[in-house]
Amino acid sequence: MQTFSYTRAETVEDAVRSVAGAGPRTCFIAGGTTLYDLMKLNLETPNKIVDITGLRDLNHIDAGGHSELVFGALARMSDVAAHPQIADEYPAISESLWRAASQQLRNVATLGGNLLQRTRCVYFRGGEPFACNKRDPGSGCAAQQGNDRGHALLGGSSSCVAVYPGDLAVALVAFDAKIDVLGVTGERTIAVEALHREPGTSPNVETTLKSGELILRVRVPKTTMGRASTYHKIRDRESYAFALASAAVALDMDGDTVRDARIAIGGLATRPWRARAAEQVLAGKTLSQRTARQAGDAALHEAKPGRNNSFRIELGARTVADALMIARQRA
Amino acid sequence: MTSLPYPYTIRVDAEDKVRGKPIYAADDNRPGLLHAALAVSTIAKGRITDIDTQAASAVHGVRLVLTHKTMGAAKSAGFIMGGGYGFQSLQPMLSPAIAYRGQPIALVAAETLEQAVESAHLVRARYAEEPFGVSLDAPGVEVVHQADTPLKNFIPEIASGDADQALSKAPVKIDAVFKAPPQHQNPMELIASVAEWRGNKLTVHEGTQNAEAVRHGVATALGIAPEQVEVISPYLGGGFGQKNSLQMQTLLAAVAARETGRPVKLVVPRATLFHAASFRPESRHHIRLGAERTGKMLAAIHEVDAQTSRHDLFPGEYTATSSRLYGFGSFRGVERLVRTDVQTPGYMRAPFEHPACFAMECCVDELAYSLGQDPVALRLANDTDTDVATGLPFSSRYLAECLKRGAELFGWTRRSMAPRSMRAKDGSAIGWGVAVGAYPGLTTPAVAHLKADEDGCVVISIGGHEMGQGIRTSLANTVSRKLGVLPEKVRAVIGDTRAAPQHLTAGSWGTASAIPAAEDAADAMLMALAEMSPAGIADRTPAEILKAAGRRTLEVEVQRKPPGQPDEILGRLRAGLPSVAGPVYRSHVTFSYIAHFVEVVIEPGTRRIRVPRVVSVADCGRVISPRTAASQVRGGVVWGIGAALRESSEVDPRYGGFLNADLADYVLPVNADIGSIDVEFIDKPDPVFNRSGVKGLGEVAMTGVAPAIANAVFHATGRRLRDLPVRIDHLL
Ligand SMILES: Cc1cc2nc3c(=O)[nH]c(=O)nc-3n(C[C@H](O)[C@H](O)[C@H](O)COP(=O)(O)OP(=O)(O)OC[C@H]3O[C@@H](n4cnc5c(N)ncnc54)[C@H](O)[C@@H]3O)c2cc1C
Ligand code: SF4
Repeated sequence: MQTFSYTRAETVEDAVRSVAGAGPRTCFIAGGTTLYDLMKLNLETPNKIVDITGLRDLNHIDAGGHSELVFGALARMSDVAAHPQIADEYPAISESLWRAASQQLRNVATLGGNLLQRTRCVYFRGGEPFACNKRDPGSGCAAQQGNDRGHALLGGSSSCVAVYPGDLAVALVAFDAKIDVLGVTGERTIAVEALHREPGTSPNVETTLKSGELILRVRVPKTTMGRASTYHKIRDRESYAFALASAAVALDMDGDTVRDARIAIGGLATRPWRARAAEQVLAGKTLSQRTARQAGDAALHEAKPGRNNSFRIELGARTVADALMIARQRA
Repeated sequence: MTSLPYPYTIRVDAEDKVRGKPIYAADDNRPGLLHAALAVSTIAKGRITDIDTQAASAVHGVRLVLTHKTMGAAKSAGFIMGGGYGFQSLQPMLSPAIAYRGQPIALVAAETLEQAVESAHLVRARYAEEPFGVSLDAPGVEVVHQADTPLKNFIPEIASGDADQALSKAPVKIDAVFKAPPQHQNPMELIASVAEWRGNKLTVHEGTQNAEAVRHGVATALGIAPEQVEVISPYLGGGFGQKNSLQMQTLLAAVAARETGRPVKLVVPRATLFHAASFRPESRHHIRLGAERTGKMLAAIHEVDAQTSRHDLFPGEYTATSSRLYGFGSFRGVERLVRTDVQTPGYMRAPFEHPACFAMECCVDELAYSLGQDPVALRLANDTDTDVATGLPFSSRYLAECLKRGAELFGWTRRSMAPRSMRAKDGSAIGWGVAVGAYPGLTTPAVAHLKADEDGCVVISIGGHEMGQGIRTSLANTVSRKLGVLPEKVRAVIGDTRAAPQHLTAGSWGTASAIPAAEDAADAMLMALAEMSPAGIADRTPAEILKAAGRRTLEVEVQRKPPGQPDEILGRLRAGLPSVAGPVYRSHVTFSYIAHFVEVVIEPGTRRIRVPRVVSVADCGRVISPRTAASQVRGGVVWGIGAALRESSEVDPRYGGFLNADLADYVLPVNADIGSIDVEFIDKPDPVFNRSGVKGLGEVAMTGVAPAIANAVFHATGRRLRDLPVRIDHLL
């Protein structure tokens, strides 16, 4: 690890001022569970770190508002996961956090940091000798002729097929959540769905945030569909693993008929992936094993398999279908 | 005495461990300590043509950068299975040759770990690359018949009767190929050494299963006398065969400490561990099994291809166990070694026996189904008292009892035979599977020193290493019972080359070697006490007798060698060389046995495979420490679940080495994956094997778990999956 300077921001403005314009090697640190990990792998080499954990006004969970749930960017994963009202009214959000990482990590990791976690692609994390356009633009993509069992089926390009690994963002995308960010020119609002970029020809640019922009809060529009929701996560072991496939779904039912459905999938795409085609398949239909499965197929309709990951097309479709049946029980 | 079961006492070091009291090498923080880090090869094979350490040396706090050019006079300590002390014959950094990706090319020692790591990242090497192959089927690998190598002298091929002819005549045949992937032990404790010189004496602190090999190995490598080296290893944070000989990092730390005149600590990070230490080799098993229509097994042929390195022949001993599972009418075993460009593989828990039992026991299940016979009944019908390979009797064999008791505990009679015939309410498929496992009964010589004092303390110094298996507790239980003192008054000094010769602790021979020696020592002490106490020693503690006799302490020392072994074996022990006898002894053959019964539940939709319930019944002779023994079996079952459903070290043939080199991507089971594991022991002593009646347990625990799971998956789905691990990928 290289020597770096460390400062604690006193105010949000202070934080933004310290990072914006200071160059790519200056960054915020919240819980540090992503950043320190990548520093130890020599993938992030900051020379200046601005600690934002002292910013008290970013550390709140507000579920009581009229139209929105509001989470400060520094709210801890464990606190949001365990919040009784969230667990009750938005189980998909609570479960997306419960089923992520481990209790120890959730106890320190923040929502803002969680959204910005980076891919688990082994060729990216493994460093030399693996070719990786994300780590070393122009070097190639080792994954596409290699072991891509865990790589993306949706949203990839010939430059990169790395999965966006986070769980929370998938649930947030299903609920049309937004984030407020503060930059040197002031505050703006971004849909969570518009936060992460597909790799295209520049996989090293992962988000639409500008240099020095600080995530202040996450806002989730309130909806009664929240109760009939779930985050269903399938992985290689029962805990402490990233998704092979996941689905965040929420339902608005009229008896057995779907009035409205929200479906987003995780672990399968290069960014949190809202599956609108799947939602449309269900709208106005009776929800059954068969229609749930049709929705699952629609969600994966555009999937492009690589060498070892085609099984996750079927797995993804079944995950969506099972998630719909779980949510149905809660409607 | 040995006829009585031992009580369920707690682990003697349990409280210390919970409090974090034992200090492991990686915890060491002695004054003046320098921290070391490694730079490793990014190519899979070739030579270093140029190595640039300028930038690395310029990092603040760096005190030393070592490369093959600056290592000075040092040599390889040799391969442990080739008369040496190392896990492989190749000691990195003694030449520019690169044999595998991840091989260390430089060591940096600095004031802080961060400085060392930064500096190591800055070492730049240029290479001349050569073609390579890392997997059994890669182009350019070399296949060697073990029977054509000197290994045949101590690992003879197993052959009994004319298996080929018997097979050709058998009315029922099974012919199948099974694959087991490479796997890596991932003990919580990383491999680590602290080396410190005082004058010309070197002290090494290191978690090892073989302190004597570390001692003699470092001495050989440095060209100094073994007397100049001490190795201290009171605890290991898990060994599982990975720490069973000299590792590559010890010499590097020792040289760095000598060059800097400071103590040096080198902790090998997890990613490097996948390339810097031994692992379970990839293996492929072709089994042909022939039987009568009644189920009587007439012939088995087990051919194995197992991975080794280019530079060493890591012996294959797969068929030594598969041939002992049943009374096969005839048997032929073939072991082929495939030279690949990796570090030398080694002895990961049940190294051969786990894959061998996987292959054979899946085959036996296939036989049961092709005959329409119950898998337990078929196994019982083919049990034997006589070893097929040698014709000798087994010293003890309660495998049938394990099967019967396990079936009873599990409720096996409620199983319906047909695949896909059992379902849960939610539509999940239920599968019940059974398989057995076995492990050779091995023993080593041991020297035991026993000291009692008038305050009531008893200290036993003996060869042995505590890696969590509970050897301290077993020693305390044994000595306590023999001498009539409380277990907490008995202290065991183990893993310390200053106290007694430290033979490698592995192969499940620890208890069977140390406990009889401890009993011998206790007898010697009782005799000495009787001599000093004309009034007799009945119902009196050693302390009481000593006080009455006006003595403060009493010391005795005994040495014990395995039956039928020449005295030279004690010399090998003192020289730190493997001195293992068994499983074939002059008049008998000894194995430990286990039977596992497993329930799997497979979801209807996404096909996740769960293992809610396992019942395991083991025959390990007399159980010396019931509590730690049960814990050993549970650990073995957990590992078996991992091996069956999750663990695999992946290879990308373009890059060599192993790809998923961390704990996120090398998928071990977590608590949430594990359901109930019921463990029982037959607990009948094997007095023929040794005076204490104990056989090994740690390794046999894992054997047979993977086939029981694969057989249960077949029962649930009707699909025979013959490649490990069995994953969702295969069931959708
Ligand atoms: C072993 C392991 C397993 C994991 N498993 C899962 C899993 O199953 N599912 C899952 O979803 N996640 C998983 N994670 C990821 C984990 O959830 C993230 O590491 C964590 O949420 C990051 O939060 P943090 O506060 O520690 O972020 P940090 O490490 O502090 O920051 C991460 C990044 O975000 C930036 N940042 C942080 N806060 C802000 C802000 N307010 N505004 C702008 N930029 C900011 C930092 O500069 C940095 O680049 C796992 C992590 C580990 C190490
Ligand atoms: S998939 Fe993306 S991250 Fe992975 S190797 Fe290719 S370019 Fe790098």
